Amino acid sequence: MDHLLSWIIFVPTLGAILCLFVPKRQVRVVAVTASLAALILSLLLFPTFLGGGEGAAGYSGSHYGELHHVERHEWITGSNLAIEYFLGIDGLGFPLLILTTLVAFLACLASWNMESWKVGKGIRAYFVLFLLLETGMLGVFVSLDFFLFYIFWEVMLLPMYFLIGVWGGERREYAAIKFFLFTLGGSVLMLVALVAMYFYSDGALASEMQRTGADAVASGYRDGVALTHGTFDLIELATNKVIQGHFNAASTVFLGLKFSTCMFMFLFIGFAIKLPVVPFHTWLPDAHVQAPTPVSMILAGVLLKMGGYGFLRLCYPIFPTGGETWAFLLAVIGIVSILYGALCAMAQTDFKKLVAYSSVSHMGYVLLGIAVMTEAGFQGAMFQMIAHGISSPMCFFLVGVVYDRAHHREINRFGGLWMTMPRYGTLATIGFFASLGLPGLCGFIGEVWVILGTFAAKDNPAMPWAPTMAVLAASAVVLTAGYILWLIRRVYLGREREEYQSFPDVSARETMILVPMAVLSIALGIFPMQTVFNFTNGTLDNMLRHVVQVIGLVP
Amino acid sequence: MGNHTYELLLALGVLSPFVSFWLLVFFGPRLGKPLAGWVGVVLGMGVPLALSSYVLVNWLGEVESGQAAALTASALRFQWAMIGPIAIDIGVKLDSLTVAMYFMVTFIAFWIFVFSVGYMSGHSDEVAGKSKYHRFFAYLSLFAFSMLGLVVSSNLLFLFIFWELVGLCSYLLIGFYFHQRVPQYAQMKAFITNRVGDFGFLIGLMLVYFQLGTLDLDEAAVVFAQQYATQTGIFASTFTMFGWSLATIMGVGLFCGAMGKSAQFPLHVWLPDAMAGPTPVSALIHAATMVAAGVYLVARVFRLMTPEALMFVAVIGCLTLALMALVAMVQTDIKKCLAYSTLSQLGYMIFGLGCGAWIAALFHLITHAFFKAMMFLGSGQVIEGCHHEQDMRKMGGLIRKMPFTGITFLIGVLAISGFGIAGLEIGGIKFGLGGFFSKDEILAVAYTRSFEWEEGDFSKHQEQGDGHGGHGAIDRSDENDRIRLASFGQQESSNLEVLASGTQADHGHAVEHGAENPHSTNEKHSGHGTAANAGIFANTPKLPKWMFWLAIITAYITPFYMMRCWWMTFMGKPRDEHVHEHAHEVPLMYVPLVVLAVGTFVASYFLFRPLIADASHVGSSAAMVMAIDGTAHTEAVHHAHVWLQYGVGGSFVVGFLVAIAIYGRGLALADRLKRVAGPIHTLLERKYYIDEIYDLVWVKGCVALAYVARFFDTYVVDLIFNSLASVTERLAAFSGLIIDNQGVDGVVNGVAATSLDIGDRIRRPQTGRIRNYVLITAGIAAAVIIGFLIWGPDVGGVPIAVAGL
Repeated sequence: MDHLLSWIIFVPTLGAILCLFVPKRQVRVVAVTASLAALILSLLLFPTFLGGGEGAAGYSGSHYGELHHVERHEWITGSNLAIEYFLGIDGLGFPLLILTTLVAFLACLASWNMESWKVGKGIRAYFVLFLLLETGMLGVFVSLDFFLFYIFWEVMLLPMYFLIGVWGGERREYAAIKFFLFTLGGSVLMLVALVAMYFYSDGALASEMQRTGADAVASGYRDGVALTHGTFDLIELATNKVIQGHFNAASTVFLGLKFSTCMFMFLFIGFAIKLPVVPFHTWLPDAHVQAPTPVSMILAGVLLKMGGYGFLRLCYPIFPTGGETWAFLLAVIGIVSILYGALCAMAQTDFKKLVAYSSVSHMGYVLLGIAVMTEAGFQGAMFQMIAHGISSPMCFFLVGVVYDRAHHREINRFGGLWMTMPRYGTLATIGFFASLGLPGLCGFIGEVWVILGTFAAKDNPAMPWAPTMAVLAASAVVLTAGYILWLIRRVYLGREREEYQSFPDVSARETMILVPMAVLSIALGIFPMQTVFNFTNGTLDNMLRHVVQVIGLVP
Repeated sequence: MGNHTYELLLALGVLSPFVSFWLLVFFGPRLGKPLAGWVGVVLGMGVPLALSSYVLVNWLGEVESGQAAALTASALRFQWAMIGPIAIDIGVKLDSLTVAMYFMVTFIAFWIFVFSVGYMSGHSDEVAGKSKYHRFFAYLSLFAFSMLGLVVSSNLLFLFIFWELVGLCSYLLIGFYFHQRVPQYAQMKAFITNRVGDFGFLIGLMLVYFQLGTLDLDEAAVVFAQQYATQTGIFASTFTMFGWSLATIMGVGLFCGAMGKSAQFPLHVWLPDAMAGPTPVSALIHAATMVAAGVYLVARVFRLMTPEALMFVAVIGCLTLALMALVAMVQTDIKKCLAYSTLSQLGYMIFGLGCGAWIAALFHLITHAFFKAMMFLGSGQVIEGCHHEQDMRKMGGLIRKMPFTGITFLIGVLAISGFGIAGLEIGGIKFGLGGFFSKDEILAVAYTRSFEWEEGDFSKHQEQGDGHGGHGAIDRSDENDRIRLASFGQQESSNLEVLASGTQADHGHAVEHGAENPHSTNEKHSGHGTAANAGIFANTPKLPKWMFWLAIITAYITPFYMMRCWWMTFMGKPRDEHVHEHAHEVPLMYVPLVVLAVGTFVASYFLFRPLIADASHVGSSAAMVMAIDGTAHTEAVHHAHVWLQYGVGGSFVVGFLVAIAIYGRGLALADRLKRVAGPIHTLLERKYYIDEIYDLVWVKGCVALAYVARFFDTYVVDLIFNSLASVTERLAAFSGLIIDNQGVDGVVNGVAATSLDIGDRIRRPQTGRIRNYVLITAGIAAAVIIGFLIWGPDVGGVPIAVAGL
């Protein structure tokens, strides 16, 4: 048992504490150093995933629940209650963890020269909150105890609220409260699910022990470990046959509804708000538009991914039958998100809002890919999350670059920026074409995998009209091209405008932030296997096998 | 040659321009003008041309010695990714078609690159007054990389990836002068129209992936044939749409991609507008290479096509060739005139493929690439020489100022018109040029399919072609004897036996023996595929006669509008003194013209047709090609049917005479005719109002829908949540009044105070509100939990748990 994951999570916290005490001028340095330390530490995880097994199982184990760098300590224990400090990482959390540390580092760099600093206001508070936010996000991706997961989930919430509400634009308070309320609404449902899952697992084990007369039930994934009472262990909840049998049985009911169906929906809504999917998306454009650029990067790059991660970590492995029940509805919502988000994006005149709505559209692919429950769908959804986690912070930062100079975001007032700022124009082209889903760049792979995965679900009785859905999802490629190219034309092409001619091209710091993302967009597009799939596919395939198996076992 | 030498050489040729691209991106400004351009010429195209020439020469040897089929079969593949359980390989598809296409692209592109150095040496590289010289050559290099990648791709997904990349280059290059409005709109239009086609391509790809379980071109064809033979997989599906089976939809879907890229009606609208780009780009991308990619794609997936899908292909091609030729008649912009002519010729190729004239269509692709690239470069020379004047009404008499351009352009006009005299040979070389061999052959096949084809007599036809030769494969030996390559039909001399043993089986006896033929070197691919495909095509219907007639009538229109174009530009009296005075030509620009003119001659006679013919029976095509294409040839037209001979062969005479009669003495007669034609002329001039209709229906419709969505989002979806929030807020205020919880308040205020201490600008009222929200939501949560504990405890164990807690 090593403590690498703990270090990764809490290095930013240490940085935050340090920030409280160092002189104001040093705060930025400390914060950037802390986020860089977290990035470097997270890169130390690579050997674990590079060295491992081979074949179909990929680099991440032979069954769902094969974890690395596990840390387990009893944390809160009652007579019947065992909440653990349980961290671990597999192919699901790993790429997202790296993404988080990377985006957080880049966003930290992007915070270097914010307007507010010039008046010397709030720099300390900003970076403290920023680093706490990073801790929260990292914690979510590695905690495997539901209770701990929930705590990190909430820890992330408050700093975000303040970051938007204090350092945001004109309507920051409205946006911040909206963000907070939406997320909180989801959290409430998650809390209900948390409690219910604990009690129901406890009940399942109790009746099993009563039936067999034994005084414990064997763990689903840990050798030589037995359970005596309910658990918050997310892997146990998914892999323990007794618990799974009970959770997914049709006879298990909750508030008069089938337990798995109901719990799946509770969790789903919580995560769907984060993702976000239509109709729970309206917090997103407001939050993005009002948030300062680095916070937008974090929001788009990492926070949205928590929704997708939540589906894959909680909803599907623990309530496969729920997934089957809702498959059709979720796929429809996914397609609506894709098309509706694209259409809304097309009609925006605010640069940032357009990018925000494009996120809604892109995240729709994530939901669709997961909902169809096929290998290619899961893989595509996961890839789409990572790809979007790179391309959309890049787009937001690109918006930030012009906003810093022009102090407005009206698309129609721009023009000819490629002439004015050639390097910026080139980088912007890469960023927006990645977002467009141009082959050779990262946005393409996720989309194609999801579309193919959707089509492949056509024999699943829970997914009627899968081919039609795939066609609809594919039709979005035209809409996406429409709004992105229109945007590029209005902002970057055309004659130079007088008022922007004095704009300097991207600075060294800005280049330092944009270039890694541009390089990654290209790398992911050309080497999807080496950059993402090799790490994720093993876990995802194992999970899917598990899901299918449970669905098969429980009629 | 070693095992994978050809593949590696071709791959190296793909990577060289990629290197050139990055070099120019990073060091372009430092290299400056004209060094950056020469880097593009040498690395971007010189190296690939050298490699492809080497490959071509050796490959011809391999074909002759019968090794080609074996080399084709042993493919070079690397695994790139897995989509679900299906591996996606990256590899080089090596066969005669690849070699021919690759050479054609590199040869033409090289000379266009050279031309570009000349073209860009003036002020043409300036975008809004700033030189973007290196950027132009960087884009050209990226295009070279993508186009060559497309040609060698062995996998449909990779084909699609490169396909989109050439689209990107096209987008960037059309909008090279992005400070002007017209190129901006043209580039968007090109990309989005292509995306519409790609949407269909994706559907096709999806069906291939899922129904055939592979995206490899060869494997897919084998599986397709097997599934047909056993009536499983895609053929077991009862799904239909518009009366098409799933297999047909797959073919039509893939063809949709080709419709976008090769600008087939109704997705043709982008190509004429794409002429807003620099002229070398028009020549390279929008005339010779990229737009032909659609035709190439159809040729590549020919083995995945059903007769119904091919019929669709033929209909689209036929409509395009006729409608666009009519528009070309009234164009006054020299580049637009050539653009519509390109559309019409692409229509011929697509039509040819739809008819089954696989060899003829691809042959036409290659000859057309030569002469059309030459004509576009000629127009570029004219435009550059006339200070960016593109209106032919202001030209005239330029032949004296630009003799090289004028004469090479005339050669292009002759080639596209199918100039030649049947049966006349001079020194053993048939008297004819370009289209005389390729276009007329398409027409001959169309004739066969329309008039001599009986429904269901596929096999009869195959035997016919095999047996007595008839009007069919009689004169096949014209090139064969000289170059001794293509060797089907019955007349091949005995020294071709080696090759014949490997390929003839596929060709002639496919139906009976294809699958089990022991001689067939790549039995797995073509032999098997052909046999089963023969079954697929057994019910190939007759081609409607109107299609043949349209194609023939258009064959008369083509020489007319091309001669009109040439005459208006180069002959007669100068109509604008100013333009005429400054006209001049530059060696760096007319040397490529001369080379391409020579290339047009060579392409018409040597190399390509035998190569393509070879490709058609080593696994690039299906039984239908053998049966139909094998029965018809230029000579069939020019010998077997007297009226067809004069009908097709004489078309250029009529077209030329009419054009000269009208335009021979200035524009007066033309203007009078225009007035007489009235509304018809307007209809053609406005291109059937298709642009206007699309703008209204698609562009405006889509934007309107987007605004509706935005309105809905702002005023409906958001309103619901905002009112929910305000209700909660009231409840929260209420709870704040009645629940007087000093303890909680104290804690929260303490936290708030700390954060105030930290954050200089955090406002207290907010924290107060937040606290209320948290309280109310926590209350709801508690209520739900209590609720389920009371009403939902019908689960064994839960009460115990509660008791235990």
